[in-house]
Amino acid sequence: MAGLAQVKSANASFTERKTMAVLNAPLVASGTLEYRAPDWMRKSTTSPMPESFVLDGQQVTMMAEGQTHVFALGEDPLIGGLTEGILATLAGNLAALNRVYTVRFSGGPTDWQLVLRPRDAGLTRFVAWLCIRGSETRINTIDTASANGDHSEMSVNETIGNAR
Amino acid sequence: MRGRFALALWLFGVAACAVLVAHMRLQTDMAAFLPRAAPMAQQALTDQVNNGAASHLILLSVDGAPAPVLAALSRDLAARLRREPAFIDVVNGDDESFAGVRQFVWNNRYLLSPDVTARHFTVAGLHAALENDLGLLGTDMGGLIQPSLPSDPTGALLTLMGQLAPGQGPKLVDGVWIAQDGAMLLVHTAAPGFDIDAQQRDLALIGAAFDQARAAVPGAAAARLRETGPGVFAVRIRDTTKSDVTRLSMLATVGAVGLLLFAYRSPRVLLLGLLPVASGALAAIAAVSLRFGFVHGVTLGFGVTLIGESVDYAIYLFTQTVPGEPAGVTLARIWPTLRLGAATSVVGFSAMLFSSFVGFAQLGLFSITGLIAAACVTRFVLPALVPRGFSAPGSGVLARPLLAVIAHRSWLRLVVAGAVLAGAAALVLHRGGLWDGDLANLSPIPPADQALDQTLRRDLGVPDLRYFVVFRDGGEEQALEASEALAPILQDLVGAGALAGFDVPSATLPSARTQMRRQAALPDDAVLRARFAEAAAGLPFRSGTFDPFFPDVAKARAAPLLTVASLPPALQLRLQSCWCKDADGWTVLAPLHGVTNPAGVATAVARLPGVQFVDLNHESDALLRTFQRDATRLAVFGSFAILVVLLVGLRSSRRVLVVAAPCAAAVIVTAALLTLDGKLSIFMVVGFLLIIAVGSNYCLFFERPEHDAAPRRRAVAAIVLANLCTVSAYGLMSFSHIPVLHDIGKTVAIGTFLSLFFGAVLSTRDAPA
Repeated sequence: MAGLAQVKSANASFTERKTMAVLNAPLVASGTLEYRAPDWMRKSTTSPMPESFVLDGQQVTMMAEGQTHVFALGEDPLIGGLTEGILATLAGNLAALNRVYTVRFSGGPTDWQLVLRPRDAGLTRFVAWLCIRGSETRINTIDTASANGDHSEMSVNETIGNAR
Repeated sequence: MRGRFALALWLFGVAACAVLVAHMRLQTDMAAFLPRAAPMAQQALTDQVNNGAASHLILLSVDGAPAPVLAALSRDLAARLRREPAFIDVVNGDDESFAGVRQFVWNNRYLLSPDVTARHFTVAGLHAALENDLGLLGTDMGGLIQPSLPSDPTGALLTLMGQLAPGQGPKLVDGVWIAQDGAMLLVHTAAPGFDIDAQQRDLALIGAAFDQARAAVPGAAAARLRETGPGVFAVRIRDTTKSDVTRLSMLATVGAVGLLLFAYRSPRVLLLGLLPVASGALAAIAAVSLRFGFVHGVTLGFGVTLIGESVDYAIYLFTQTVPGEPAGVTLARIWPTLRLGAATSVVGFSAMLFSSFVGFAQLGLFSITGLIAAACVTRFVLPALVPRGFSAPGSGVLARPLLAVIAHRSWLRLVVAGAVLAGAAALVLHRGGLWDGDLANLSPIPPADQALDQTLRRDLGVPDLRYFVVFRDGGEEQALEASEALAPILQDLVGAGALAGFDVPSATLPSARTQMRRQAALPDDAVLRARFAEAAAGLPFRSGTFDPFFPDVAKARAAPLLTVASLPPALQLRLQSCWCKDADGWTVLAPLHGVTNPAGVATAVARLPGVQFVDLNHESDALLRTFQRDATRLAVFGSFAILVVLLVGLRSSRRVLVVAAPCAAAVIVTAALLTLDGKLSIFMVVGFLLIIAVGSNYCLFFERPEHDAAPRRRAVAAIVLANLCTVSAYGLMSFSHIPVLHDIGKTVAIGTFLSLFFGAVLSTRDAPA
């Protein structure tokens, strides 16, 4: 965690596979991720549909199909909880992480795994658990499972080395 | 014999008037103070203010504790208020706040959604919808649409939520609205804002619920509740008025009774002095009630002020009674002057009869009737009731200072001339206009309360409504269809950037015609299933996913059409806020938000017949200007009429000048003094009329040819006593917190005192002093 806290910025490409109860085949999306410490990140999806998700402090801006949606983290428990988990991991902020999730850490420095389970019952309706895997200060995969069995696996590939 | 006949006639009159007054209808809404020929927009706006949806709203803010405590307080308070039948809806941003609307919109999505057209239910239309769903599932919003997807593959709900979204409300913290000024709640009362008793009970309920919530939530001891809204204002204004009027009128009564007791030294005469004004008020109320069918609350309060000079009639009679002389003889002596004084006031006030404001016209009739009745009672009833041998022993002392002024009047004339010149110069040179053009300053709502209202509205994201599109229609269905015709035009204007948003009744409740068209666009069950199977072929949806969709469509095809009554409370409120019903039909007031190009919007909506674009600021400015023009015209016409009456009564233009000059001088200097700390309000014009009405009486008595010193002294004593009563009563009124009372009180107190002084200096004859 302390290692992650050293990271000031990161860029990565990602591929996300979503498995859903309503679909008989997974959906695949890809794009880029950017992170600037302590609380700015952007997820830009390029395929199959361009959209972007920007978190700036407490404010989220979502853009899809030419529509822009701005709201505060506190407004939407789903996105708020999810984002706080990822952000707290990126920032290496264990205290913030512990506030929202029960945290289980396993593995060694080159092959670690964080399993997060929401503390709030309302949040569990949407996110059953998050599993973040990485080595050193890199994040390699983020898996998300929701209560209805839907599941998303995101593999992350850092394109530029971490700036410290 | 004649006295007894007059007494009998008076008693009969009092009885008749009392019967009429007992049956009068009191009205308090402000419509009577709108011009008779008010345009549709102004009429509709007052209706909306008085009876509209907005009048049912109370805005609450809870502050003085950390956010998590405020959130808990908000939840607890909302839960308590939701149990009270006095409140139709309590919204604090939590799930329950919107549950009713959400459920309603979901259940009726196929009647409400503009996306329900035949094209959307063809094979191609369904296929396009499913492909769109697939795209959405892949996005970060996928999780949000997934629960509703099986029942709503065509996305009817999604379009609707965009359309019915409550706008930019405050931020949610811990699931409830928390803004800069604390936790925010919106309470929708069952009672309208003008039902002040009900609103007072509702406020008490809210206060009690808050106290309980504060006791129940840990750490909330220091939290504070603030409330605002039309009903809250109505209650506060009534409280202020009540306390102001009670306190000030008690003080004024004590002052006047003290003065008169000192002068008369007879409680019986003191009470007799009230007969003219009391009889006058009774007759005036009866006359207004007969002529207009109702009496406005303002007329009642104001009218009594206007006929206040009739208290002076008795003073003139009692104070000038010579010891040993029957009151009848005194009266015969002073009657011509008294009559002329009353006549000048009557014609002065009669100008108001021709006002375009019903309220002013009522005031005119009230004061004319009241003064005539009071003068008649003074003339025909009072003398018979005054005890024999009465004279006012204390009045001599009161006259002394003014007699000194009169003795030095030759050089004091220069002082008066200087004051008038200075006053006139100040008025002419006054910069930035003499008249206060800000309607807010006329409002009886204190500035602090107005500011709080603004803040809470901003926090709640309730936009400041300035622009509206207004039209009328005969029936509910026609109004809905007309607003459906208007909506696309407004939508185009939103697209062009001329405005940010709008609300029309049909956005909440589509017309019956539209609902039927949507039902007709839904295919029957077998056709829908066949088309859907074809549309879904080749897409990766698991089979059976959309099973809940088909029964929902089948149910919607047969569902009864939605009416106003089927809407949940929050949507009913929203609907009522954009239209109102009166005897001849419906007036639609579609509010527009974020208008950047008013002229463009006005031109665009004018393409529809009978549709008007309204700028509220412009309308209220126009209203104020009409008010000012009316008031000024009344003052000018009234002054002219007074001059004519004086000319007829005095038969000498020189004498008219001597009587009128001090009054004019008093008005000029008073106006100049009033502009020292601000601008002139339209209420002050009424004050100027009163100065002339009362002041001309003083001058008439000063100008009376009295050849002996003793009657002269008594006349001066009478004027001084009358003036002391007037100045103390109006001076106290100027301490009121209500602008109308404050302005008139200040104007009249200063002006009548100046009239006394100026009259003594300018009107007194140079014959033996």
